[in-house]
Parts: sequence; C-alpha cells; structure tokens
Amino acid sequence: MEQIITEFFAKSLQIILESRSPYMSSRNYSGEQAVSSPSSSSSSSSSVRPRDKWFNLALRECPAALDNIDLWRQSNLDPMVVDVILVQRPVDFDPVSFSPKRNSVRNLSLKERYPMFVNSDQEEFGCEEKSEKIIERWIVQYESRMSRDTCHGSSRRMSNSTLYKKTILLLRSLYVTVRLFPAYKLYHDLNSSSQIRPFTLTHRVSSFVEPFTRQEEREMQKFVFTPVDTSCGRLCLSVLYHSSVSDISSEPSTPLSPQVITDYVGSPLADPLKRFPSVPVPGSASHGSPSFSPFVRRHSWSFDLNRASQPFTSFSPSPTHSEPHATNSNPSSRRFPPSSLPPHPPETSSMHKKDPNFDEYFPSPFSASPSPSASPSPPIRIPGSHLSNALLRSESAPVGIPTAKLANSPAFKQNLPPSPPLKSSKSSTSRSDKSTGVTHSGTPNEKLRQCSGLKLSSNNSPRVSFSRSSSRSFPDDFDESDFACAFDVEVEDITDPGSRPESFEQNVPLCDPLEPGGGSYATRKSADAAVGALVLMLRKAPPLRQDFSKSVANSSGVPRVETWGDSNTVLDSNQISEGLVPVQHVASSSVMASGLVTSKTTADALEELQGYRDLKNFLLSQGSKSHI
Amino acid sequence: MNCEVCQLKELEVGHLEFEIREVLRCILHTILFHRALGLVRPKDVDLELFEITYVQCGDLEIEKKIDEKIEQFISWVEKHPNKKSQICLSFYEVKNKQAFLFTHKIERLYWEQWYINLNVSQLPRTHSGKSHRSKVVVDPGAMIIESSMEESSARRAALEASLRDVLFQIIKFVNEKKDHVPPIPNREGVVSYPYEITIPSSSDSAFGMDVFKRMLQTGHPTMLS
Repeated sequence: MEQIITEFFAKSLQIILESRSPYMSSRNYSGEQAVSSPSSSSSSSSSVRPRDKWFNLALRECPAALDNIDLWRQSNLDPMVVDVILVQRPVDFDPVSFSPKRNSVRNLSLKERYPMFVNSDQEEFGCEEKSEKIIERWIVQYESRMSRDTCHGSSRRMSNSTLYKKTILLLRSLYVTVRLFPAYKLYHDLNSSSQIRPFTLTHRVSSFVEPFTRQEEREMQKFVFTPVDTSCGRLCLSVLYHSSVSDISSEPSTPLSPQVITDYVGSPLADPLKRFPSVPVPGSASHGSPSFSPFVRRHSWSFDLNRASQPFTSFSPSPTHSEPHATNSNPSSRRFPPSSLPPHPPETSSMHKKDPNFDEYFPSPFSASPSPSASPSPPIRIPGSHLSNALLRSESAPVGIPTAKLANSPAFKQNLPPSPPLKSSKSSTSRSDKSTGVTHSGTPNEKLRQCSGLKLSSNNSPRVSFSRSSSRSFPDDFDESDFACAFDVEVEDITDPGSRPESFEQNVPLCDPLEPGGGSYATRKSADAAVGALVLMLRKAPPLRQDFSKSVANSSGVPRVETWGDSNTVLDSNQISEGLVPVQHVASSSVMASGLVTSKTTADALEELQGYRDLKNFLLSQGSKSHI
Repeated sequence: MNCEVCQLKELEVGHLEFEIREVLRCILHTILFHRALGLVRPKDVDLELFEITYVQCGDLEIEKKIDEKIEQFISWVEKHPNKKSQICLSFYEVKNKQAFLFTHKIERLYWEQWYINLNVSQLPRTHSGKSHRSKVVVDPGAMIIESSMEESSARRAALEASLRDVLFQIIKFVNEKKDHVPPIPNREGVVSYPYEITIPSSSDSAFGMDVFKRMLQTGHPTMLS
C-alpha cells in the first residue's frame, strides 16, 4: 500500500507536469525501466517500450517529474504542491526575436510594430520586468489517520486491489481533467505553435508553499478530486486554478515575418536620383514612402536621364508657356526657383513638400513672375544642361524636365512668336491634349497635382492620353519624349501650384508658339519632335483615360481644359504618370480650377477645345507621315 | 451491485454531421477512458470544433466501435430530425444464468449506464446542407446573414460550454462513484469491462422496450453473487 501511495505521488506529478511543462517532458522519451505494477492489476502485455505502467497508465518519461519526486519517495506524508507558473517574458527567446516583452503592462503594441527599433531595448526591459503568476496549484496529499489502530483494523477491508483500482480511476480522471483547465491551453500553444510567445510556463514542486492571499484565492477556483480512502488515511488531490488565463494567451504574439508594406515604392534614400512626385494621393499618404500610381513607378524617367542631353530643343515650348504663366501666377512664382537650383533632395518629395519640390523643378519662370524669361533663362543650351540635371535629379521626367524647359523657356519664348501659326497648330494640339489634362489648378501646393491632372486630362482625349502614356513609350522614342518633356515643362510651369486658371489661359496663347524646341531652328526641329512625341503619346494612351474621364467628368472641365491646353502640348509621360496618381485630387483641383475660371465662358472654351482637337488631328496626320 | 446511472446534461447540437460526430466522440471516449482500466497509452485528441482536448484510450477496437455507433446514430437522426435523442453507454458484467426468466442465457448485469442526451435541432437560416429547410425563410439581406452568423457562433459557444460541463460531469461522477465498479478483471487488453452503446432505434416505442429489456436482464439483486 505504501508503494501504491508513493507511486501515486509520482504518477500524479508526472501527469501534471507532462501537460504543463513545455519543451520538457514526455516528448523526449528516453527509455525508462519498466516498473512492475502490482499483480492484481498489472497487465504488462505491452512489450513495445518500457514505460512506467503504474496505474495502467503508460506514460512517457518525464524528467521534470523524476527530478522532483525524490522527496516523496522517502516520505509520502508531506504534501506535494505543484505550482504552475506563468512567466510573462520570453525566457527562452532568441535575442534577435522580434517579440517584444509582453509585460503585465501590455502597452507594447507600438513596440511590436517596430521591433527593429526597440528590440534591444525590449530585451533588457523584459528581463527586468518579468512577471510571474501562479495560475495553478496542485496539491497532492496523503492524509493519514492518526490512530494506528484504525489503520490496522481497516487495512483488511480495503484490499490493495481495490485501492489500486480506485487510484487508477483517480489518476484517469486527473489525466482528463488536467487537459480541461485553462492552463492546458497555454501549454498547448507553447508546444504546438511555432510563433514566439511572450510567455512561458514553469513549475515549482515543493512541499511547503506560501498560501495564497485572500484576494488571490478569491480569483481562483477550486476543484477537488474525491479522496481515495485507504486503510490508514486518504489520498487527496485538489487544484486551485485561475479560470481566466485565456487573456494572456490570446494576445497576438509578434509574427515572425515582418509586416508587408503595401505600395512600397522605395525609400528615397535608396535611390537619390529617384524622385517621387509629391502628388497627394488620397489614402496613400499613410505609407511611408510616397506611393504613386504605377505610372510613377515606372522607370521611364530613368530613361529620361539617359537622354538628358537631347531634350534641349524640346524645351523651347516651355518658355512660351512659362512666361505668360509666370506673369500671371503669383503663387506659382514662389515655387519655382531658378533653374539652376540644385536638385531637390528626393526625400522632400513627400506630399506636403510638394511645393519645395516643385520649386526645384519648376524654376524661374514661376519664381520670377514678373520676368519669367529672365530668371530661369539661361541660354538655351544651358537649359539643356539644366534639363539633364533636372532629369538626373529626378526620376520623374516630367518633374525634372520642366526645369530645363523652364530654362529654355525664356529663350524659347523669343523664338516662339515667330512661328505662331505652326506652333499654334501644334501647340493647340498639344494644348488641347494638355488642356484636358488641366483639370486642376489654383491650389498652391498642387503643381504636381496639376501636372497630374494635366496628365489625366490628357488621357481623356486620345491625344492627351498619348502624352500621359508616353511615359511608357518614353524609352522608345526619346526624341519625341524630349519634346514631350518640353511640353510638359511648359505645362508644369503653367500649372503652377499657385497659378490660377487665368494664368493657364494666358498660357494658352503661349502654347501656340510653344513648339517643341528652343530657338528658331530648334523650334522647327523640336516641332517635329514634339509632333512625333505627341503622336506617340496619343497612340500609346494608357487607360488613364478612364481615370481622367472620371476626374474630368467631375470637374466642370472646359475652362480648365483651355487653360491647360497650351501647356499640354506634349505631355511628358512622367508627368502623366504623376498625374495618374492623384486622380481624385485632380478632380477636386479641377473643380477648383473651374471655379476659378471666370474669364472665359464655357462656350468659348469649348470652341477652343474643338480647335485644338482639329489641330491635333492635323498634327497627328502630319506626324505619322513625317519622320519621328 | 447497483446500477449507477448517470444522466448527462442535454446538449443542443445542430443538425451537422461533423458536429454530432465530434461531440459524441469526445463524450464516449472520455467515459471509456475512465472505464477501460487495462493498460493504456493515452492519446490526446484536440477537437476541431472547440478548444477542448479529450483523451482516448488509444485502442483501435474501441475507436472503431465508437465510430460505427456514431454513424448509425447519424443515420437515425437523418430519419428523425429535430428530435431529442439519447445514446446509452452501458457497462455490464456477464453472468451465466442458470435459472431464471431467461434460462441458458448469458445474462448481462449492468452496473453502470451513461445517458448522453442530445437535442439535434435544425439550424436556422442557411447552414448545413443536410437540414430540411422547408420552413426556413431565407431572407435576403446582409443583416439576416450576419445575425445568422452571430447565432451560429453563439450556438457554438453555448455548445462548447455545455460540452465542458458534460465532461466535468463525467469526471465528478467517476470520482464520486467508485465502489460499484467491479474489480478489474485480470485480462489482456485495454477494455476491462464489456460495454455496449445503444442508440435509439427506429421507433420511439422500441426505445422504451430496450429499457425494459435491460431491466429484466439486470436481474434480481439476490441473484447477484
């Protein structure tokens, strides 16, 4: 009987620890000597592996239990108290794990999100802040009766087999019960989950423990197994447990995989030459990096960089645009630093920094509103270099090019007037193209937006979309793109963030002379190139059209179209791409622009638009025939 | 020996085959684990439906028998939907009766009976494909679907809580009533005591007959040795 009781202690300890100690336990089975069970109930027919078959419960070896049972092997009169402790800190965690220490404070959610930054801090913090909580206390006790007479007397009545049978039953129910308490869930999660958890379970086996405080006891529930009477006493098994440990385990642990950043465009720091158009994208502002439409992400601008040398002539149109535009737009003027400005750091391409970006890329004509030609006006050749600089500076060609275009613009402006008719036709075409894109204007900070809108609007009509989609086609036809860029520059110049529609309107006439090209000779050359670019853009019009059509539909459209028209002669693909993103903004800004336009009536604008369309068609036909 | 009877708490189970199977397996295995007192290698089984882990004996025979009975029960439920049903797990001793009402018959002395009470109900709205939903009005509308989902999860939660209660009920019963358990026979195998699982038969009245028959088979107390 003594043996039964002793083994009972061992077995119950094994059952408890086997289901409460993760990482250790029956999983690591290492053969154990078979313990012969009492004859009455032994059925060691199983010859598979030596296991502890006491109580007909063949369990694997549990080192934790074996280590702790010695005391009770000697004397089974002491109670055995097994405390299951929940430790809330990553005891065994990898130092480089991302899981933040989850303290009882539980305010680490932020840190979880940025594990990279706080990992080291967390570790130290966690080590100091571990919190242990006893979630279960199992008490196994053999209460012996004091009277020895009673003991001897009753020993006859209770046979060992009966005692054994009852202890078997008790241990079976213990085995089942252990798996029904909340702590089992924690153990199960720890053992089965591959995720790193901010908690772990440990245990403590002792014969004497501090009793719980009253409050602690109140929080716990008690479950008592029916004692098994023996001849000399009774075996008691009970447990105090917390019924609400689920809140601990239910907290999501830090996933091992880092969070995926959607719409990741790339850090500006990674590629300094990359410029993210600071177009306000509704909803995308939340992303760390400026996320723009796929158009923006295309590397057409990188192609532009390669061709920086060429677009010299194509910038000629821009001056024409820029000049009137500059004179008209005060706010825009501030935004456009001299073309010789150094490239704006890409980091500043955040949306709220659009203005400075714009300033960088849309120099002089706007900044020097009174004399747009003067301020940005290095000689035409210089603009070329500026253009290349701009291109190099910025990934988005539309943005970079305008700089050079602006630079060119003054010179170009001079050249433009001589050929108004031809240019007007072309420019009107492009203008009309761009005009459709010019849906937004007026908001100071939305030069890019305007350009975007420009692009979008350009997509609305085939010719416009041509300009917008030209970004894709950019690598194919750089010549055209150069001029397209030039036009874009003009457009951007004109669509100065602060510029009002009036300025655009005034830019319209500029569009006419604003043939792609710088000087007179450049004008002709650039005109062809511009036409070619225009044709290309129109042909490769992307589905921007649809986007734009929405935005255009939203806006009143016509006046804006007109204002944008001249600047839209050849839309740079990059500009288009930029414009793709803020469709909504374009729409809104276009609405604003339309509101601002007061000088022209709708009818007039429509007529003009029609004219531009005709011009465009004409140019297209010409372009297809002419060498591109 | 007295026959101890344990009426388990009634469980509201939806007319879902999977659900019925899971619940019944859990209960039957738990009871048998307490009564198969031969050498066992316990096997933990996690329920898929709920976060409950129960223990099986790890004996294939038992598993097979339980699954067979569950399948029979499910077929019965298909024919008798929306009914309260009972599954009886009985443990008996075999006695060779020499003389009594049924002479030359092997008498079964039931010493323990467990009654698993299930109320298999049709699920509201559109749920299981097996239910007969002629009377269910499928209301198109997101709100209805949502409410049905809420109902479903509430029902599941209630079922999980009830199942836990039933398991604790079994544990308590096993703990409190040990004296009536016969001595463990010295035999091979996991199963110490013969048992049988009784599912409702085709007609309701027959069920009552089964109970009566069992009463007769139990025998007179004086006949018990």
